[in-house]
Amino acid sequence: MDFLAPLTVALPLVVAAILIGGAHLWPSQWPDAVAALTAATVAIMAVFLAGAAAKAGPLVYWFGGWTPRHGIAIGIAFVVDPAGAGCAAFVAVIFCASFVFSWGYFDQVHARYHALMLIFLAAMAGFALTGDLFNFFVFFELMSTVAFALTGYRLEASALEGALNFTVTNAIGSFLMLAGIGLLYGRTGALNFAQLSRALSGHSADGLVILAFALLIGALFIKGAIVPFHFWIADAHSVAPSPVCVIFSGIIVPIAIFGAARLYWSVFAGSGIAQAQLRPLLVWLGTATAVTGGLVALMQRDVKRLLAFSTVSHMGVLLVGVGLLSAGGLAGGMLYLLGHGLVKGALFMVGGILLASCAGIDEIELRGAGKAFPLTGIAYALGGLLLAGLPVGLEHQGRELIDAAAEAHGYAFLAPILSATGGLTGAGILRGAGRIFLALGPEPGEEQQSPSEEEREQQDRPVWLMLLPIGAMLACELMLQAFPTEAAVRVAAASFTATGSVVATVLDGATWSPPPAPPGVTETQMMGPIIGLSVALGIAALELGRHHFPRNLVRVADLALGWLFSALDRLHNGIVGDYVAWLMLGLLVIGGVLAIG
Amino acid sequence: MGASGIRTLSRSLCDILNAVGTSERHGTNIVTLVNFDYRGFDTLGEEYILFAAVIGAVLLMRTHRGEKTSARPGKVSEQPVPLRTDAVALGSRPALGLTLIFGMYVVLHAQLTPGGGFQGGAIIGSATLLLYLGFGYRTWRQVMPTAVLDPVEAFGAGAFVVAGLAAMAAGAPFLTNLLPLGKTGSVISAGEIPLINIAVAIAVSTGFAVLFVEYLEETREPDAGDEE
Repeated sequence: MDFLAPLTVALPLVVAAILIGGAHLWPSQWPDAVAALTAATVAIMAVFLAGAAAKAGPLVYWFGGWTPRHGIAIGIAFVVDPAGAGCAAFVAVIFCASFVFSWGYFDQVHARYHALMLIFLAAMAGFALTGDLFNFFVFFELMSTVAFALTGYRLEASALEGALNFTVTNAIGSFLMLAGIGLLYGRTGALNFAQLSRALSGHSADGLVILAFALLIGALFIKGAIVPFHFWIADAHSVAPSPVCVIFSGIIVPIAIFGAARLYWSVFAGSGIAQAQLRPLLVWLGTATAVTGGLVALMQRDVKRLLAFSTVSHMGVLLVGVGLLSAGGLAGGMLYLLGHGLVKGALFMVGGILLASCAGIDEIELRGAGKAFPLTGIAYALGGLLLAGLPVGLEHQGRELIDAAAEAHGYAFLAPILSATGGLTGAGILRGAGRIFLALGPEPGEEQQSPSEEEREQQDRPVWLMLLPIGAMLACELMLQAFPTEAAVRVAAASFTATGSVVATVLDGATWSPPPAPPGVTETQMMGPIIGLSVALGIAALELGRHHFPRNLVRVADLALGWLFSALDRLHNGIVGDYVAWLMLGLLVIGGVLAIG
Repeated sequence: MGASGIRTLSRSLCDILNAVGTSERHGTNIVTLVNFDYRGFDTLGEEYILFAAVIGAVLLMRTHRGEKTSARPGKVSEQPVPLRTDAVALGSRPALGLTLIFGMYVVLHAQLTPGGGFQGGAIIGSATLLLYLGFGYRTWRQVMPTAVLDPVEAFGAGAFVVAGLAAMAAGAPFLTNLLPLGKTGSVISAGEIPLINIAVAIAVSTGFAVLFVEYLEETREPDAGDEE
């Protein structure tokens, strides 16, 4: 089964080369079919790998046959654990859905889009599976390179500007990561995760290790859209083609948080980086991200921008799950990652249908334009309800595990706050659903001030073909609950966090003894869903029904909230220099907090 | 040695590879041995970063791109195209040959002396610009039709992956060397390293050529019938 590990990366790479090689020869729609099939094949291979790793422990694959000598890693290894392989499988599934969704969209560019997307897929699969720090960086960089080009696809001035903001901030992320790797290599002389972990464990963390950690985590937080590293995300999402947004929000952003978890548990868990400082730092960063993202999402009129900020908010919740630094919290985060990716991907596809069929993405201008697409509207509203906290599906299961882990670490008070932030993002989506598909809300509120994009996408594509992946993704989110997904993810999180056993398996070939899985949640807490849904439905109803309230009351409410919204709006100004200043501040905070401890 | 004694490895990765590289892999340029053998998988990723950057650049410059080779570059309306002087042509023509030969030398001596497929490929790619300077736009476009550059570039990139897959077909891990190592110091030595470097050089040099075509075409006004 080991041989599948390199194939998950090599197959899409080789198919990408073939697609470019014959770029002018392929009949239209061939690249679509080839790319979708390749992604499906990668998904199947990754599922097999996950199954094998769950049974026998992490599979260690040494490229070029360069196995460790006297316990020292010479070459590059993939360390395939159930979580990494599951992540790769999930990535491939979302790519497959995105290829089906974009069928016929990119006919004119001679398979270049498909080749880039397949390279993107290979990079993320490698990122999820690798057990080597420099290899991790190579795939991180490969993802960025592809993403820059895909963001600017439309070639409008705004698209190129969004792509440029994305490029500058994320290129800085790459530099930070490379600097962190250099420091760690200089100190330990090693690049393999297990080797690094062994070198660092049992020693107090000096300034150099802390700086390296801050640089690496900062780089991943830029891609993971954690406040204050998140500014690029809306600029990039509002201009990128919708199938690309599906990939961005559905996986590339969350996978960066997964990467941060991977770095922590594979390398730094035994080092002197104190949990006592790190846990509150990550939990509060996550909470700030969840709140900021939720508030800013609410004030958007551009559907894709709104969804991008909602991703910011949900990444905050994911970071809280990871940042609790427990197997239970991580399991919750992983489930949340799956659920959120499926729902958010489906929502961006709805945005794509609007762009293709209604030639617009602005909820105020599109008021009532979606009446001819009832199924699309239902999908959009369902997605909004799921994000708000509807107590079904993977995302809900993840939230429950995160809440339980938060309670265990003394953060019980966070649960209602996080539920409310989910409600905020749900409110924005439900307001859009009411306005676009039911022609409600004739009088716009503060969202009228937000930026909007003149945009349309390739028309004359069958709506049913675009609805198909939306339905499939929402069905997955709801139905996977019936399978023992939750239990499997808890087992995966347990082996993900068993640093010592993984190190012994990789370097010494020790036999794997499965660690105990964290407990599941036994009683369902209805408090979270109630808070989330009432916030979402309440705010959406208030916003859509503005014209029913006395004019003076509305004006007072707008004044009271106006300062907050306009302050938040002024921060997201599209000026890349400001973004860089913010991310430097974030880096200082992370480094500072860890250094003081 | 860190103050806290973190360096627990007796020797760093670098020291180990410096010590055993030449005797194990029969090459004298340790950097290449690391990049293309011990850690060849990283380099495969790096090669694809370059490949993706070229595809991406072509994607972003796709408007105004024509397939015709007859036009002149820089034909922006009401802007004169500066004429090429004889001195430029006279200097560029011999330089073209010398640069090409030097590029090939750097590629073929990857495992022996500093350099390799990436560096040599970049030199060969630059040489194609001398073709434009020395012989003019039309000759340059005729020698390098985009319909040929794309497949050649893809072949160069894909060949590296195929080398990895070939090892798997033979029952070894991905990117394991299958060829005899040869005599240290010879141009044909260090197993597959020369072949992979040639593949990388093909990808890099054609990648550069594609970019040059795109950049020069960007300034040209589209003719009727060009792709939009």
